[in-house]
Amino acid sequence: MKRIQVKLSKDQIQKLSLSSIGFIVLVYVYFSFFLGPLNNSRDTMLAEIDQLQDKVANSKNELTKTSKLEQQANTSTKRFAALKALSPEGAPIAWFPPRMKTFFANQEIDKATARLENSVAYKETDLANWMRYNWILELPQADFSTLGKAVAALENAEPLMSIMRISIKALPEDPQFQQITLSASTAMVKR
Amino acid sequence: MALHLNLLHEEILEQRQRQRDPLKIGMMVLSALGAIMVVYYLWNAYKVLEIRTRLSQAQQNWAKVEPKVTGAQKRSAELNSIISTTKVLDGMIDGRFYWAPFLEKLSRCVALNAQLISIDGTVLDDGKISIVIDGLAAGREPRAAAEELRQLLLEQLGQSYNDVKVEFKSLEDLDTIVNIGGSNMAMARFGINATFNTVAAKPTPTPGPRTKTRGEPKQ
Repeated sequence: MKRIQVKLSKDQIQKLSLSSIGFIVLVYVYFSFFLGPLNNSRDTMLAEIDQLQDKVANSKNELTKTSKLEQQANTSTKRFAALKALSPEGAPIAWFPPRMKTFFANQEIDKATARLENSVAYKETDLANWMRYNWILELPQADFSTLGKAVAALENAEPLMSIMRISIKALPEDPQFQQITLSASTAMVKR
Repeated sequence: MALHLNLLHEEILEQRQRQRDPLKIGMMVLSALGAIMVVYYLWNAYKVLEIRTRLSQAQQNWAKVEPKVTGAQKRSAELNSIISTTKVLDGMIDGRFYWAPFLEKLSRCVALNAQLISIDGTVLDDGKISIVIDGLAAGREPRAAAEELRQLLLEQLGQSYNDVKVEFKSLEDLDTIVNIGGSNMAMARFGINATFNTVAAKPTPTPGPRTKTRGEPKQ
């Protein structure tokens, strides 16, 4: 085998060293300042695309779910609207006592009065927009059967009202009639 | 044999040395490598541009969908809130105690020879109902008339409610004589406490019929 001996001059060695250093610097600059950032930006964009595609796919599911929920909640929505409609605009103290007075007058019980005892917020998170109002309803004179019918009508007409206490006392001067006090609580929308 | 003289051997050697110059070869290799790197960079840059186009398309798609999704999420939360609120309200409506049927039952229990002076009914925190009734009973045996009212009340309430207890709080004879239907009758004053539960008690589990097992001896 023929051996070729390459003899490099000092100048050539210097040039070669410089070229090698240049090559290393070039490779470093190429990877650090050109290819590296480019790859980073590519990876970031790919991740962002994946994220967006996931979001779009999820959004389709979300839209489908919402439309299904809308159909399922149809009954609840109507019922909720009906229950909400039982609380008209304005402060309950302004409209509830006249409403009760009219109601009992229609039931042939005159001089009914309603007093607000207190109002408290519900502890349930689902009823955050609702308040409980406690009322004292006083019916100074009514006979028992009229009272029974009126209470039945009240319980049907006011589904959100629950009578917590009932006190019926016979009038000493006219035992045919009774004096009635009802403690009732109603759920009303916060205004 | 002819003599062959190479008079240019020095020049030829120089030329060969120039061709094998490592610096020159290195520069060529570097240039080739540089060219490959540039091409690779350009190829990558082209791909990145392509990805950027895809990204902008995805962003456009999302921008179109996002308002709808936000609206849908809001609506969904609203509907869920409506459903749960309606459930709670329905629970309250179903769980309340209806006094009218109770008053009707009570009116059925009061005979002509009894008079109720006062009725106090309260819905207790545990859902039980407590009733306090004060009244007068008249008859040859006024205590028996009061007892009859108590038993009738127990029977009537027992038909619709659970855990019914109807007990006398007080029962005392009065000196007063009352005239009912032309005949004088003695009177008694009574107080009745009644408690009952509107919620049906949980049925106690009863053991099912025993099935024959393999190990059991045949009869």
